Formats: sequence, structure tokens, C-alpha cells
Amino acid sequence: MDTSSQARARWIDAGVIPHRLQYRPEVPFTVSVGRATVARVSAAVARTLTCALWGLEAALVTVEVDVANGLPAFSIVGLPDTAVREARERVRAAIRNSGFEFPLRRVTVNLAPAERKKEGSGFDLAIALGILRASGQLTKDVAELCLGELALDGTTRPVRGALARVRAAGLAGIEAPVLVAAGSAGEAAALGATTIAVITLRDAVEHLEGRARLAPTTAPLPAISDPLGGDLADIAGQETPKRALEVAAAGGHNLLLVGPPGTGKTLLARALPSILPPLDPDEAVVASAVHSVAGLLDPGHPLLSARPFRSPHHTASRLALVGGGTPPRPGEVSLAHGGALFLDELAEFSVAVLETLREPLEEGAVTISRAGHAATYPARFTLVAATNPCRCGHHGDPDTPCTCLPEQLDRYRARLSGPLKDRIDLRVAVPRVPYARLQEHGGTERSCAVRSRVLAARELMRRRGRRTNAELTVAEVRRHCSLRPDAERLLASAVQERRLSARAYHRTLRVARTLADLADRERLSLDDVALALLLRAP
Amino acid sequence: MSLIELRRADAGYPSGLADLPRPPDPLWIEGDLAVFDHVPRIAIVGTRRLTGYGERVARELATAVATGGAVVVSGLAQGIDSAAHSGALDAGAPTVAVLGEGIGSFHATAGRRRAQLAQRCVLVSPYPPDAPALPWMFAKRNAIIAALAALVVVVEAPPDSGALITAGDARRLGRPLFAVPGPLGSAASVGTNALIADGLARAVTGADTLLVALGLAAATAPSTPPSLLADALAAGPLAPDALAELLGLSAASVAASCVADPRLVTLPDGRISLR
Repeated sequence: MDTSSQARARWIDAGVIPHRLQYRPEVPFTVSVGRATVARVSAAVARTLTCALWGLEAALVTVEVDVANGLPAFSIVGLPDTAVREARERVRAAIRNSGFEFPLRRVTVNLAPAERKKEGSGFDLAIALGILRASGQLTKDVAELCLGELALDGTTRPVRGALARVRAAGLAGIEAPVLVAAGSAGEAAALGATTIAVITLRDAVEHLEGRARLAPTTAPLPAISDPLGGDLADIAGQETPKRALEVAAAGGHNLLLVGPPGTGKTLLARALPSILPPLDPDEAVVASAVHSVAGLLDPGHPLLSARPFRSPHHTASRLALVGGGTPPRPGEVSLAHGGALFLDELAEFSVAVLETLREPLEEGAVTISRAGHAATYPARFTLVAATNPCRCGHHGDPDTPCTCLPEQLDRYRARLSGPLKDRIDLRVAVPRVPYARLQEHGGTERSCAVRSRVLAARELMRRRGRRTNAELTVAEVRRHCSLRPDAERLLASAVQERRLSARAYHRTLRVARTLADLADRERLSLDDVALALLLRAP
Repeated sequence: MSLIELRRADAGYPSGLADLPRPPDPLWIEGDLAVFDHVPRIAIVGTRRLTGYGERVARELATAVATGGAVVVSGLAQGIDSAAHSGALDAGAPTVAVLGEGIGSFHATAGRRRAQLAQRCVLVSPYPPDAPALPWMFAKRNAIIAALAALVVVVEAPPDSGALITAGDARRLGRPLFAVPGPLGSAASVGTNALIADGLARAVTGADTLLVALGLAAATAPSTPPSLLADALAAGPLAPDALAELLGLSAASVAASCVADPRLVTLPDGRISLR
């Protein structure tokens, strides 16, 4: 079963893709929509194909160009936004400056489907080629997917979200090559689509006419892993925080680091990428597509290979964190998809902003609803947060006395309470390390050693049918978390003594499962459960 | 709860206040007047900026003396005062809170934690109900605390603490003064250690010291088995790693013992503390 050709047939039936277009200027010709000839069209209508974005969802857009007799005019219909409407001026100048003639007739451009709002400047190339075709200056039909903005002199400019658009076209069953602005060629070719990079409008015409065929762009290499961020061995002491970080990396558990300023909370969090497993190929495509829509991909190496690590500043707004705007852009939670979101100084974030994290933490996706449309971005990430223990930052610091009153402490802690705290599985103190310990070198593990344990643990989780233990459902927790008798007793007494809720109980078991996976143990041991209870967020 | 305006001549006016140069008249009281029939009374006071050590000691001493039959008097401030009141309440005993402002004003402004405590304390104030708190008003409150008690204990006090004013009042009124020795280097214990060093206060070496001084039978303390962990944490909360290093154990085994020991709690910042 070839699903992509089925999808193609569906699009053909829907009338989005021209099935067969026989075109002779000024001569009546037939158009087949679906598989039946539906009309004999007498005017000069050209069609080109391009792609519009709405969130990660991309819609194929047919650009229909009609050049008719009448007073010279140029109008674009089909719900264009300002940037699309301004394509008129860019396209007119680009055509003229490329040595072609802009038809001095009535030019109408329709972007179909017409009810869908179109935004951005990526349609320029498709519109220009459509006009050239309709006016007979281009004698071949354009079957390619055209993506590119035009400069006034006819050169092409890159478009935002090229990777996402080409991916969407592929999913819709479009097998035609992609004709794309040279600046976006890397992104377009990253997923293996046949990509023709054009530097100018004239290049595109020469290629389509077959006069100067351009070679397809080769798929670029994936991005090399980010060498930034530290190694765990660079951090002196802090054995339990490092252990918590390892658990978070392996099991996808959300982590809160609490400690006085300057004790290495940020350093620890920034070392997380060094122990995270690499992205799976399918995760890499989705993560790259989100980055593509945000315009954040490296054009030379568009496909991400390392898990993203995002650390928005604590002044970030709601829109910056979860995404939004018109058109809706992905926020930090989506850019962190497949990786980690690091919120430093968690208590300094505005409470309203933190509240918006609820949905992505729960659903693994964000839906941004605006008048007329809703865009959905993926947002499955590991939350790593760091906070001071109190307002002055020195509560529990043996060197500097804390100047906060107990009620101020209460208020400070209350900022972290609520639904967000509910989703944090691990909480660990990052105390000040004595000077003598800072001087010590060696003895601590390097990130690569920790990473190999994380990889092995992830493999065990994958065999259990989940990407990470944090995603285990209650039923799965019951099935996969069998305890040794001493561990069972400890957990039972902890549930009684500390009055653990059912939610906290399952969360503890998930963390203990990850600890056991890291040690390659089938059943949860006493140490696994004890450490899980110790690291349990309040 | 109804507010009682108690005149000096009224029956039930607390004994001890007569020792003050100018006893408060009237005295505003919210709660059960019968609490003043119980003697002895003991004042447990200290700084608002307490440490984990001070909180634990204040609470333990208050619970012990309240169990022994004494009424705990304090100032219902944040910190040591609140710990002392809740320690007494843990023992199921009544406790007296002397406010440095009007009782109505206190209810209007207190934080959630102190408001909850206040519901279970007998509140006493020398000021009319609507008098807002002003810095100069607390000196009178401190003197009343000292006068009401047969004995005054300062748990933690930095050098400039208001608790040292109460200590001075205690000496002027001839009330025996006790101070809890604290770790050297802890700012919160500088004032109390100095009281002991200068011979102004006797050192508290345990709840028994106070019970004997009050003339009460030394209660048999619930015997807890000795534990390395509890010893290591006696001076204050520690992070798991520091605890593991101190005891020469692995982090996992420390975790196991901490979780299994009902006397220990994990603080919101992840450190381990004695309950």
C-alpha cells in the first residue's frame, strides 16, 4: 500500500493539486480536477503550488494566476495578510528586473483554498512563476513546490519554516521536487526531498525551461552536538544533585534545584545536555520542524541531533513561554520539545506565566487558539527549575545568615506552590560546597560515563513501551514496579508516616523505577525507594 | 471570641503583674481566663530570625514544660515565640500570648500561620483592641511577659534582639533567667551565649533544668533510641550529601535511614532536619 500516493489521490480529488494541466496560451484547454474533465477553460490560467503554515500544520496552497484583458491591474485574493499583499510590489519589480515583462493586463492571483488565512512572504516565487507562465514567458508548467521570497532585483530570499513546509508537503503526498530560495535549500533538502536551489527568478525559469538545469541540493549533515554546557566532572562535590540530574535525564522526571546563590545550580542544569541521549530520528524531525517555524535553524545543519535545551529569562512573557501571536509562533516550551526547559530563578517568574505551563506539562502539547484558527505545537519536555531557598537566598547557608523572617519564607515558598509543584517529581538541595572540596579534582564521574548509563536505562524503558518512565500510566506503574520485601516495608511505612497521597506514591514509584533502571535492576531495591522518597518534591 | 477588659481590682487579674512599676490597667484578654489559675508560668522567648536549631529547641522545651504542668507564656511573634506556643499546644496545654498591639489590630494584620496559632492561644494585650503596632509599644509587652512568668528562658537571640529586653526585664523583676547555649559562630546565638558567659543567665541543658527550677517533677522524657543521624542533625538541618559525609555512609543508605526514621523530616529546600 503506497500511502503517499493515496494521499496524493485525495488531494487531487479535493482539487488542491492539478491532476493534468494542458496549457496553451490563448487557446481553450481542458482542466481535469479529480479524475474527470470538469471544464474547458478558455482563459490563460496558470497554476503553481506552494505551502502555507499554521502552527506546525502546513496547508498546500495552489496559486492560480489569471491574466485577462482589461485595465492593467494586479490583485491578490484568498485571504492574504499584509506581507502577502505586499508581494504585488516585490513580484512586479522582480519580474521586471529579471529581464521579463510584467503583463500590462488585468492580473488576478488567487491563493486557494481561499478561506484559509495566508501569512508571510514565502509565496513570492510561486506567484512570479505563475504570472510568467500565464503570460507565456514561461512555456513549461510548474509542477514543483515553490518556496521563496523575492527581492526587488529578482534574487531569492529564504523563507521561514521551509523544513516544516516541505515536511508537510511530504506528508500530504506531494512527490514533486521543491523549487526553493537558495537560502532555504538546506532546510528543504534536510528530510530528503528533491530540492532545486535557485538564487534568482531567472535561474528558476532557465531551470524549468530546461535550458540550464540545476542539480538537486544534497541533504546537509545533521547539526553537530552543541559543545557548550559543562561536563559533570567540572562540578565539585554535589553528589546527590548530580544523581538527581541523572535520574531526570534518564526518566524524563521534572527536577527542582534549591540552593543559595553561587552553589552551582545553573552549572548543574547546564550540564544536563551532556548526559541526555541523542534525539530519535522521528523526534529530530519534529523538533527541527518547530525550530524551522521559529526561524531558529542553522541553515548549514538544519536537522537537530542533540536534544534542545532552552533557558528563557525569568522576565519571559506568557507568549514567549507557550507561544502565540498572530500568526502563532512556537514558544519556549515547544522549542524545548524532546529536550529540556530550564527555568532559572523559578520564583522570579510571574505567577501568571508559570500557570500557563500547566497544559504543556499535562498534555505534552500546546494549542494556541486565535480567532478563526487553532495551532497546535508539540511540547513534551523535561522541566528543570532552579530557585533560591528564600528571598535573600541564604536560608540554610552556613556561611551567610539569612535575613528573612519566617513569614517571608512562607510567602516565598508559596510562589512555587500549586499545580506546577504537582508536576515536579524531584527536588534536591544544592548546598554550598566547602572550600576544601572545591580544590579537589578527580574522583567525580565524567558526563560520558553517566550518559552511557542513561542510554542503557532508556533502552530498558523503550522495551517497556514508553519513551521515559515519567510517562508511565498508573496501570503500567503497577505492572512494572515490583518491590523487594524490604523496599515494600519502607514504602509502606513512608506512606503512613508522611501521609503520602496516591499521586505522590505513584510518582515515587516512577522515580524508583528509573533509579533501578539506571542500576539495571529488575525489582526495586530498598536504596531505590529510599532515594526516590528522599528526592520527592514536597 | 469575646474580649474581656480586666481591671486591676477585678478577680482573676493575673498575679505577678503587680511586680511591675505600673501594672497595665485595664488588661485586654481574649480567651479562657482560667488559664491564669494555673501556676507556674514560664516565658519562652527569642528572635524572629530563628535557625532550625532554635526552632527545634524552643518547641521541645515548650512541649516538655507544658507536659510537666507549666503554662508557656510568649509574645506570638514569628520565630521562637511561635515555636514555643506551638510546642505547648502540641502537649495539649493552654498557652498565653502577650501582644504588643491591640488584639483587634493583631487579627486584622497577622499572617496566616500566626492567625491560626492565635486561635488556640489566650491573647493578652495592655493596649485597646484597635491600637496598631508601633515599635515603642513592644517594650511594655516584653515587661508583661517577664512579669507573668516565674522564670524566663531565652532560646535564641542575636546581639540586638528584642528578646534581650525581656531578659533585662526578668532581671529587674527578679525572675530567674535561663538561656539556651547555641553553636559558636551562629549569629542567632550570640546574645544568649553572652548572657551565659556574663553570668546573667543560667544555661539550659535540657527540659529537666527548667522543670526542676519551676519545682515540677522532672517528667520522664519519652526515651528515644540513640541514633547517629539524630546526633548529626542536632545542631541544625543538613543536606543529604553533607550528612552522608559526616557519617561516612553512602548517600543511598543515608536516604534509607532518613526516610525510615519518623523523627526526621525533609525540609522544603531538600535538607534533612530533626522534627
